[in-house]
Amino acid sequence: MSVAALNKVEMTPKDYKSEVPPVWCPGCGHFGILNGLYRALSELGVDPDNLVITSGIGCSSRTPYFVDSYKMHTLHGRAGAVATGTQLANPDLAVMTVGGDGDGFSIGGGHMPHMARKNINMTYILFDNGIYGLTKGQYSPTSRPELKAYTTPYGGPEEPMNPLLYMLTYKATYVAQAFAGKPRICAELIKQGIAHKGFSFINIYSQCPTFNLIDTIQYYRDLVYEVPEDHDPSNRGAAIELARRKETGPTAGKVPMGLIYQKEAPTLCDKMQEFVDNVGGTPDYDLNKIIDLSRP
Amino acid sequence: MARNDLIIRVAGEGGEGIVSSGDFIAAACARVGLEVYTFKTFPAEIKGGYCLYQIRTSSEQVYNQGDTFDVFCAFNGEAFELNKHLMTPGTAVVYDYPGGDFEPDLPEGVIGYPIPMSQTAKDLKSYRSKNMVALGALSVLFNIEEETLIRVLTDKFARKGDKILNLNLEAFAKGKELGAAHEKTDPYRVADPQGAKDVIIIDGNSAVGLGAIIGGLDFFSAYPITPATEVAKYVAKHLPKRGGTLIQAEDEIASIAQVLGASYAGKKAMTATSGPGLALMSEMLGMFTMSETPGLVVDVQRGGPSTGLPTKHEQSDLFLAIMGAHGDSPRIVLSVEDVKDCVDMTVEGLNIAEEYQCPVIILSDGSLAFSTQTFPTPDPSSFEIVNRKRWDGEGEYKRYEMTDDLISPMADPGTKGGLHVSTGLEHGETGAPKYTPENHELQAKKRFDKIKPIVDRYRPVEIQGEGDADVGIITWGSTIGVVREAVQRLRAEGLKVKGFYPKLMWPMPVEQYEAFAATCGKILVPEVNYQGQLSHFIRSETNIKSSIPYTICGGLPFTPAMIVERTKEILS
Repeated sequence: MSVAALNKVEMTPKDYKSEVPPVWCPGCGHFGILNGLYRALSELGVDPDNLVITSGIGCSSRTPYFVDSYKMHTLHGRAGAVATGTQLANPDLAVMTVGGDGDGFSIGGGHMPHMARKNINMTYILFDNGIYGLTKGQYSPTSRPELKAYTTPYGGPEEPMNPLLYMLTYKATYVAQAFAGKPRICAELIKQGIAHKGFSFINIYSQCPTFNLIDTIQYYRDLVYEVPEDHDPSNRGAAIELARRKETGPTAGKVPMGLIYQKEAPTLCDKMQEFVDNVGGTPDYDLNKIIDLSRP
Repeated sequence: MARNDLIIRVAGEGGEGIVSSGDFIAAACARVGLEVYTFKTFPAEIKGGYCLYQIRTSSEQVYNQGDTFDVFCAFNGEAFELNKHLMTPGTAVVYDYPGGDFEPDLPEGVIGYPIPMSQTAKDLKSYRSKNMVALGALSVLFNIEEETLIRVLTDKFARKGDKILNLNLEAFAKGKELGAAHEKTDPYRVADPQGAKDVIIIDGNSAVGLGAIIGGLDFFSAYPITPATEVAKYVAKHLPKRGGTLIQAEDEIASIAQVLGASYAGKKAMTATSGPGLALMSEMLGMFTMSETPGLVVDVQRGGPSTGLPTKHEQSDLFLAIMGAHGDSPRIVLSVEDVKDCVDMTVEGLNIAEEYQCPVIILSDGSLAFSTQTFPTPDPSSFEIVNRKRWDGEGEYKRYEMTDDLISPMADPGTKGGLHVSTGLEHGETGAPKYTPENHELQAKKRFDKIKPIVDRYRPVEIQGEGDADVGIITWGSTIGVVREAVQRLRAEGLKVKGFYPKLMWPMPVEQYEAFAATCGKILVPEVNYQGQLSHFIRSETNIKSSIPYTICGGLPFTPAMIVERTKEILS
């Protein structure tokens, strides 16, 4: 994220709350993520005037309404692409996208690889509850086959995807995973993600007590384990190995929580600026010089 | 009598240098002060296939590609066969013989000039200079100013080094020699030099790019699609000079989404696409409407539906541009007549998007995309540049404040005190969701009413011809240029015919259509689509209920002769 927006203000986490109260169900994991977000913004001193949060459609996509910042509530699946435009158009802004597993990996799945591989200087927080909540409970790309839901009364016919592997494969430069039941860890990983220059992706498991009755808070507690201290997050191979679900061994069937991978790399914005610099680009450039090139 | 207006058609296999020889002739004519209007068609395949380049040049203004050709240059047998039916007694045909792949059976009265193009190129050990041999022959046979043509070639090939330059000049000289050996028996010659004029010569797609840069574009998000891709090519090259950015997105949905995000950040942003891309963008265009965000899309129309005729000409996206949205989703739709318009209207499109905070679609088309035309060099300082109404920082900021002109001031991110949500949900003045029946009606009305004044900006719609007419012709897009010439011819014959040429397609200036029709006996509406899409809107929106559609959709534009003929049929 843009460093220009960091360390600008002294605000408590509460100061980032907007006047709009969250519309989520009691017991929803998203509250924990939201609190983590408030805390991360506060600890980094992000100036709300220079913060843009975009979202698509879904329960978690309502998050921008609850944060004091500039924000755009866009279309299902397109929030990341919108944020890409905002970030490239004004690199001084801190740009963030929030949304769910269906929004990001189903309808918006075509955009995720490109934000990652282009290294757009922004943060993507994915609230992963393994269900479409706003449409009252359909299976998503991260649902377990055991989930009997609205459109899967006999159980799910598909294998879930692995968000971490997906983003690592497309070379996201910051990949982390957390669990809404651990707001402090959420806060820390969001904070590091915001501070990271480049595309940061944070997958956060979040229980949906209304529609996903099998992925309970206790299920997630048992599912996650903290990233081992000897893991080297700069090693992409090790990160991919960590992200891979194991069938045997002590971490069989479990998922890591913590920083999985981080690497410094030029952002798309840096590279575009290079193009501008190489041609001596300036808003005052004489247009007649361009027009003259079309003389016969 | 020497004719002033000449049409040369060059055709052959893609990759044989058809396009570059056409470009050279066009540039040479433009350099000596002649008007130029070119027309090209390509195959949809990347290599090979039939390729055609037609140059119309005159000392007077040229509005279209013309009826047919006076001079035909056939690089191969296929090109000859495909054009044989268009040859009439007197047509001059330059063709590759002997040594080419065919021995033509010239129709009666057609004047043939065999030139061994392939053989000569082979003798020079440079097969790629075949087009230079042809060019040399054309130059001497049809009065294309040799000295200028050589300068054009020199400018072009100098970059490639002396060896290549000299080889091409040698092939050109050889072609000239071969041409001069023929006794000229046709009357065709390019008009005499007029003295250099202050003009540029550019194709329609590049002209859109130029207009965008003149109009103050900051950000362009592209996705490749025929026949629009050259817009992005031009912008990618020149926008960085102004400090702006072009990126290529993963699909058209992403490109229009990025335009939305960039525009929200306070920058002027656009994309260019063709029908399939515009179809993918339709949901996001509704988001522009709902969130009241400025944005410009240029649709270079091609033959549809589906993949259709990707490289061919059609005007069949009018429905999509105007109505292609869910919900009540107003937008402004403009069209362009010629290449100059591509510059002017793109500046306009950016301005209008900023002024009315809404999506603007400009309809260009496949024939304009690749048509190069001469027009007076634009003076960038002569264009009015409009920027969006921005919040003055006074009082409490409401993104969707109800103002007198219904345009709510915008606050770019970074503005102190301007925090707000821009949203695709129905909302009240602050942007907070609001679903009451009264509010949705109020906001829908705001979104429609705020763009109504645009009709005054395009008042009056241009009318060609005065007084009452027996036939009034209403048309749009590049067909306007064809109708202009047809109306000229018909009026020169003393027939009472007028033309009505709207550039603002939507919202429709209904009362101007009706006022025009009131002065005409019958209304003819030519357009290049199967359904008669403008005819449909004329019937549904205006009191003109008996207009006569004239539709073609063969992948080619109308010719003036077709319009003349149809008009006469109606008159009789």
